[in-house]
Amino acid sequence: MKNISIKFFTFIVIAILFTSGMYIFYKFYLDSKNTTEHLLKENIQYNLLDIKYFLNKNLKKDNVNQLKAYLNNIVYSNEIISDMHIINQYGKLLYATDGDKVAFHQKTHCIAISNITEFNLFNQKCYTFQIKLFNKLTPYYYTANIYLNSNYLDSLLKNKMIKYTLLFITYIIIFVILLWFIVQQFIISPLEQLRQFAYYSSKVPKSFLIKEFESIRYSLKLTFQRLKQEQKELYKLSTQDPLSGLYNRLSLIEKMNWLISKSKRSQAQFVLLFLDLDNFKNINDSRGHEFGDKVLKYIAKILIASVRENDIVSRLGGDEFVIILPDIEDNKAILEVIKRIQIALKEPVEFENSKYHITCSIGIAIYPKDGKSVIDLLKNADIAMYKAKALGKNNFHFFTENLNVEVQEKIKIQRLMYNAFENNHFQLYYQPKVDIKTNKIVGCEALIRLIDPKQGVISPNKFISIAEENNFITPLGEWIMTEAVQQIKKWELTEFKHIHISINVSAIQFKDQDLLQKFRKAIQNIDPSKLDIELTESVLINNFAKKLQTIQGFKELGLTLSLDDFGTGYSSLSYLKNIPFDTLKIDKSFIDDLKNKKDQSFINMIITIADELGLQVIAEGVEHKEQLEYLKKINCAQYQGYYCSRPLPVKEFEKLFKEHNCP
Amino acid sequence: MIKILLYLFFILFLFTSCTQNETKELKISTNSWIGYTPLFYAQKKGYLKDINIKLITNVSLAESTAFYDVGKVDMLTATQHEYYSLKNTGHDLIPIILLDRSNGGDMVLSNKNITQIKKAKKIYTYLEIDSINAEIIEDFIKFHQLDKKNMEFINKDQAQIQDLRASKNKTLLVVTYSPYDITLKKHGFHVVASTKNMHSILVIDALYAKNKLLKTHKKRLQDLKNIIDISITEIQNNPHSSYKLVKSFLGDISYNEYVESLKLISWINKPSHKLLERIKSMGYDENRLIQ
Repeated sequence: MKNISIKFFTFIVIAILFTSGMYIFYKFYLDSKNTTEHLLKENIQYNLLDIKYFLNKNLKKDNVNQLKAYLNNIVYSNEIISDMHIINQYGKLLYATDGDKVAFHQKTHCIAISNITEFNLFNQKCYTFQIKLFNKLTPYYYTANIYLNSNYLDSLLKNKMIKYTLLFITYIIIFVILLWFIVQQFIISPLEQLRQFAYYSSKVPKSFLIKEFESIRYSLKLTFQRLKQEQKELYKLSTQDPLSGLYNRLSLIEKMNWLISKSKRSQAQFVLLFLDLDNFKNINDSRGHEFGDKVLKYIAKILIASVRENDIVSRLGGDEFVIILPDIEDNKAILEVIKRIQIALKEPVEFENSKYHITCSIGIAIYPKDGKSVIDLLKNADIAMYKAKALGKNNFHFFTENLNVEVQEKIKIQRLMYNAFENNHFQLYYQPKVDIKTNKIVGCEALIRLIDPKQGVISPNKFISIAEENNFITPLGEWIMTEAVQQIKKWELTEFKHIHISINVSAIQFKDQDLLQKFRKAIQNIDPSKLDIELTESVLINNFAKKLQTIQGFKELGLTLSLDDFGTGYSSLSYLKNIPFDTLKIDKSFIDDLKNKKDQSFINMIITIADELGLQVIAEGVEHKEQLEYLKKINCAQYQGYYCSRPLPVKEFEKLFKEHNCP
Repeated sequence: MIKILLYLFFILFLFTSCTQNETKELKISTNSWIGYTPLFYAQKKGYLKDINIKLITNVSLAESTAFYDVGKVDMLTATQHEYYSLKNTGHDLIPIILLDRSNGGDMVLSNKNITQIKKAKKIYTYLEIDSINAEIIEDFIKFHQLDKKNMEFINKDQAQIQDLRASKNKTLLVVTYSPYDITLKKHGFHVVASTKNMHSILVIDALYAKNKLLKTHKKRLQDLKNIIDISITEIQNNPHSSYKLVKSFLGDISYNEYVESLKLISWINKPSHKLLERIKSMGYDENRLIQ
C-alpha cells in the first residue's frame, strides 16, 4: 500500500466532505427550487385562472373601463403580478394597469399560460391567455397579457440562492480552515513531534490532548529512558574493563585515535606505556585465577594513583596494561610516572596473609616518533616491553628503531622456521666424534640446519633461541629425534652400525608431558644405546626434580646421556652426582685456550673427575693438531671439532666415515 | 490507500448521481356529466390512485377547459367543441380515449312548445356559449329555422342555469345536458330537442391529453383505458352499487334519475368501425386512440 501524508489524507477527507456538503446543499437547493417553483406555478395558474374566469364572464365589448377597478385591485394586491394588459382582437391595447399604453413592455415575450412549466418559471416574465367573447354565438378573442414582478420572482429563489451560496462558501472556508487548524494542531503537529522525538529522542514533547498520541508519547518516553539507561550500561560495558574498572581495549583504541587526531593538529606528542606484570602467570598458576584477579585490581588502583588526572589507564587483557600520557614534552616526565609506579609496587602487597612482590616491565612508545597509528604504537610499545623483560624484568625500555629491526628479524626467522618445517627445509648435519687413541669415528652429534631455498643455510644460533621462545622447539626437537632414530635404523645393517648419534634436548622440551613417551615410541625399533641425549647445564637449572625424573626415564629407556658444554655454567658436581651421565663434553672455550696453563689445569681436573666417576670425556671444538696432541697426552677419550670435520650432511658424513675408518 | 479513496469518491459520485424517479401524478380535469361516470367510478374504487391519476371535478365544461387552458391539468374530458376550441388557441392536444356519445344526454329545454317558440318575438336562450351547447342550439335554430335576431343568448354555466324557473311570460330556451336537465324539468322545463332525435349533430365525449403525454406515459394511459373499460362494464353490470359511488359527482341525483341518465348516452369506449369512420373527419384519428 502506497503511503500518503496526513496532510494529503486530510485534504482528501475535506474534499469528500466538501463534495458531500455540495451535494447536500445542491439537493436542498433543488428541493427548495422545486417546491418554490411548484408553489409559484400554482400561484400563477390560480391567479390567471381567476382573472381568466372573471374576464370570460364579465368582459364585454367596450366595457373594459367598468373592470378597471377590479383589474387594478388584482395587480395591486398581488405581489406576483406587476401589470396587466387587455388587448382587443385587432391588437389594440384597451387597458394597462400601470397606465402605460405606449410601451407595451417591449422586448418582453409573452407565452401562453398553458405552456407554463417549472423549468422556465423564474425567467418567464409574461403570460398570456385569450378571452373568448361572442357576438351572438360567433366567438372573437381578446388577449390578456399578465406581466410578472421580476423583483419578487428573484427574491423567491435567485436572491436566496446567492445568499445561501455565499453562506455555504463562507461556511466551507471557515470549516476547512478550522478543520485544517484542528488537524494541524492536534494530529499533524503531535505526530511530527512524535516523529522527531522518535528520531532524535532528545526533546520530550509536552502532553498531548488526544489520548492515543499521549499514550504513544508516554510509551516512547519510557522506552527512551530505558534505552538511555541500557545505552549507558552498554557503553560502560563496551568501554570499561569489567574486572579492573579501567578503560578496555576498544575504549583505549577510540581514545588513542582521538588523541592522534588532536595531536596531529596541535603537533603535540603523547606517550604510550605498555605494562606487563612479571611472572604473573606463576601467580595465576599457583594461586588460581580468583587470586590473580585480586592482584589485577590492586595493580589497577596503583596505576590510577600513579598517573596524572588526564592520563588514560587501560587494561588490554590478562596482565597487560596501557597508560597514555598526553602532553608529554620530555622523557623526564615519562620517567617520573614510571618511577611512581615502581615505587608503589616496591612495597610488598599482602593477600590472604601472604606477602608478594609484584614487579612489571614497561615498554615505552612515543607518538609520532615511534608510530603514527594505534596499531604501530601498541606494537612498538609491546616490543619495547619485551625488551625490558628480556633485560631482566622489573624494568622499562624505550622503543628504538634497532629494537624494531631486531623484532622484525625475529619475526622473519619465525616465518622461515614455520615455512621450513612445512616444506621440509630442515636437515640434520652430523659432526663426527673421534676416538683419540684409534683416530676412528665412533659417533656423531646431530645438529639441526635450516636450509632456505633463497637464503641458503641458516645458522641454528639464529633460530634456536627463537624456537625456544615460542615453543617451536618442541615439534622441532621431536623432528630431530625422529630423524636421528631413523638414521640409526638406516645404519643398523651397514658398516655404520656402530655409530652413536647424539641429539640435543632443550629445556623447553621438558615442558612436554609426553616427552618420555615420545622417545619410548621412537626408539622401539632401534638399539637405544645408539642414541645419546645431550643436556646443557642451563636445561637443569629450573624444576630440577621434575626434570630429573624425565632424565632418569631416558636412562631407563637405555639411552645414554651427555652433559654438554661442561665448565661454562655452574659446573655443579651435584649434577654429576644425581644424574647418571655417561659422557662429559668439555666446552670448546677450554679447548680454544689450551696454551693457557689455567685452562689446561681445568681440563686435567675435568678428566680426572670424569675418570673417577667413570664417565667418558669428549673435548669439543678441536681445530688444531696441537690441541689433539695435548688431549691425547692427558688421556682424553674422544674429540669433536673441525680438526676432524665440520658438521656434514649424511652422505658426506658417511663418505668421511669410510675414508677415516677404512683407509 | 489512494485506491480506497478513489472508490469512496466513485461511490459518492454514484450516490449523488441517483435521483428519485417518482412517477409524476397525472391530473384529469372533468365536470359533472353522466358520460364521465366511469372516471368517477374508477376514482371512488381507487383504480385511478393505483396508477397515480387524480381527478379534478369542475362545475362546467368551460371551467374544466379553463383548468386545462392554464396548464393545471394534463388531460381533460370534453366534447369535440372544447377540443376544437383549445386546438384553435394553440393547444397541442389529441383525443386518446373515447367515452360516450350523447344519445339524448344533450338537450334543448323550453317552457314552451315548438310552435310557441317559433312564434315568439323574443327568445331568451340560456346556454354555456363556449361549449357544445352552442353547436346544439345552432343545430336547433337551423332545424326549426328560427331567426337569431329574435334571440338573446345568455351565457351561464350549467350550475347557474339549473336554477332557472319556467316563466309564463317569457319564451325560454335552455341548452343543457344530463344531469342538469333533471332539476330544470322539475322547474317546469321540458325537452324540445335532444341528441336522441337530432340526427344532424353528433356529440362525442372523450378524454383528451397533451400530445406528448401519449409518448411519455403510454403505459399508464393504456392502464387508464383498461380501467375505464372495466369501470363501464361494472357500471353496466351493477348500476346500483355504481350509483352509490358516483352519485355525489352527479349532484346527488336519485337512483332512478341515474339509471335514466345512463340511458341518454351510449358508451363508445369500444367504438364500432362505422362510428370511427364517421368521427375520423372530426379529427378523431383511429390510430391515435387507445384501443
